[in-house]
Amino acid sequence: MMRRTAAVLAGKATGMLSRLSRRGGGTTLPGDVARAIDPDVLRKLARDLKFGSVVITGTNGKTTTARLISWLLEGAGHRVVSNRAGANLIFGATAAALESAGADGRLRADWGVFEIDEASLPKAVDEIQPKAVIVLNLFRDQLDRYGELESIAKRIESALERLPAGSRALLNADDPRVAEIGLDLPAPPLWLGIEDTSVAERDLPHAADARTCPRCGASLIFDAVYVGHDGVYRCPNKDFARPAADITATNIQLDGFDNIAMTVGMRRAYSADRATETQAVKPDQRLELPLGGLYNCYNALAAYAAGVTIGLEPQYIAERLKNFRAAFGRQERMEFRGRHLNLVLSKNPAGFNETLRTAVDLAKGNSFLIALNDRKADGTDVSWIWDVDFERLKGKATVLVPAGSRAHDLAVRFKYAGIDAAPPEPDPGRALDALVKATPEGETAHLLTTYTAMLDLRAELVRRGWAKPYWET
Amino acid sequence: MAKQKTFTVGWLYPDLMNIYGDRGNILTLLKRAEWRDYDARMLELGRGATKGMEDVDVFFFGGGQDREQALVYEDLLEHKQPPLERAVRSGAVVLAVCGGYQLLGHYYQTAEGERFPGIGLIDVRTEAGKKRFIGDVIVDIDTEMPDLVPRTLVGFENHSGRTYLGPEAAPMGRVRLGFGNNGSDGTEGCLQDGVVGTYLHGSLLPKNPHLADRLIRSALRRRGDDELSPLDDSAELSAHERILERAQRRLPARAPQERELRSSAAAEPREPS
Repeated sequence: MMRRTAAVLAGKATGMLSRLSRRGGGTTLPGDVARAIDPDVLRKLARDLKFGSVVITGTNGKTTTARLISWLLEGAGHRVVSNRAGANLIFGATAAALESAGADGRLRADWGVFEIDEASLPKAVDEIQPKAVIVLNLFRDQLDRYGELESIAKRIESALERLPAGSRALLNADDPRVAEIGLDLPAPPLWLGIEDTSVAERDLPHAADARTCPRCGASLIFDAVYVGHDGVYRCPNKDFARPAADITATNIQLDGFDNIAMTVGMRRAYSADRATETQAVKPDQRLELPLGGLYNCYNALAAYAAGVTIGLEPQYIAERLKNFRAAFGRQERMEFRGRHLNLVLSKNPAGFNETLRTAVDLAKGNSFLIALNDRKADGTDVSWIWDVDFERLKGKATVLVPAGSRAHDLAVRFKYAGIDAAPPEPDPGRALDALVKATPEGETAHLLTTYTAMLDLRAELVRRGWAKPYWET
Repeated sequence: MAKQKTFTVGWLYPDLMNIYGDRGNILTLLKRAEWRDYDARMLELGRGATKGMEDVDVFFFGGGQDREQALVYEDLLEHKQPPLERAVRSGAVVLAVCGGYQLLGHYYQTAEGERFPGIGLIDVRTEAGKKRFIGDVIVDIDTEMPDLVPRTLVGFENHSGRTYLGPEAAPMGRVRLGFGNNGSDGTEGCLQDGVVGTYLHGSLLPKNPHLADRLIRSALRRRGDDELSPLDDSAELSAHERILERAQRRLPARAPQERELRSSAAAEPREPS
């Protein structure tokens, strides 16, 4: 007990110092400090939670999905602990728990909602003992940091195999590699999926990863492609196919970056307590929320499924989602000199292809700033920009500013995509100036950026008084 | 009107061996031929496919994730090896990166000592190493390619294989930054007949247009057609130059041990605090 209290206090002090010294939001370092004093501090704090935790993992959509679930719980009067600044390793989760703990080292909250990096999942599941784990998708991402998809998938699988009794895995049936994880789990997962071919793309994107049958190695046949390699697929030798979804999204309507609407059907639902498992418990529910892009339909679907699994009413969820506010930099608007800036985090080929598709096809955007950094948190290897279908901007982008520390690489990428672009501008301030100057008043400019490039641009915007620091949102 | 001359890039296993932005290499070859008024075509050579291999000017063979690499292995030995050998004998060019590079050699030996034979198109052998080599690479080009300007290649490496060159293969150059073929003899890549093997991606060719043109020119030579008109490479070369400048600023003569540390630190996922 002594040790835990010391760990909590030291961690909290670190967080305060970190914010005072303006080194950042103190979203990770306090976790480091506390874990050094008591390695079991997160396990102990998680046990204090009145109802338990939900853990979200996957390549893309973790932050938004976690934010959606917190939003639902908070609206129902729950006190929620969440690592909401995107600090998604075990240190970040620990830091979040510390921040909500009292001076006696106790955590007084109802629910924990933690987004956890794929590689950290086994440890997180072991320490947090969540009621539900959501696996959103598995795409190639920062190979220099995380290694190959296969090793990530194996880590997730080993984490899900060790889920505590009474805990549920919620898996995306549309992702072949996630589906493969779910095939051999000791407890059946709850499968989520989109079933609306009107929003499907015809072909797989260039850099699709999970495109072979896990059993026979044959190339999978895709009858629909929704996001990246997520869609409706089957093995030509009938060795493998998309699992039937328990919770489905149909009748999808996409309205630029402004809105998505969909009907959620539940063919089967589980409560977190398996003893009360029931069949077809809920009627169809129409959802509408102020987020853009098909990829956010997956996030909303997952949040809905998690909400129902932990006991929230569908009608309440639908009402609450209407007023949702997006997470930091995931999709954020600002006004500047009469221009509308739309900031969208885009950090790997699958994510980038979706934000491009939303900005170009749905939002009819024509003014863009694309920023690429190669710091450790972005991935030091920028090869992946060649896997992004920037060709989509051709003939659509009238303004295109290559920015970030690797702006020159982007300029070459655009040249080979046959798109005219402004000169590369690594300095965030000058890149913003170039964008604003070229964008007519009253128009919207889309800023699609990697993680630390987003931090840089936002810091510049804060300096000019345009937005709040990220740890205050 | 004179019939437009064709230029064909054959991409070996585009769906499975495409892990490190390999499309950049393909696009660079195609565009640079197109800008010289060639009718540039891409031929996808997936599993089972061999049709049209005799018309290919430049083959590209990229890296894959382990699972995908295992899937192409049998197909390579069964379907691709004979036509690929014939093509190289007749003057076609091959660019092989990372996994593709290893598969074109004599063998790949796992940590347990098990050997997987390659197709032996180049005189190199590869052994598994413990530590992954990850990071930016700068290569000083050797005298084997005297006409290349600038005299450097820039790229990114991410591999655990250690590749050693036999007497038939010459290195492309020496690493100024990074690990290269094996991290011990300072060499990077290999040149043998029309085959170029390398660990550099990033992608390799977009920021090294001089190497891209060398591949295109060598392939066209067998048609008696080796004059390439000059292009404006300022965007490509300034991206190239920035990598050199940055390395200069960051690592003035960094010792090999320090580089080992850098590489192992990079393998540890860590978020910004």
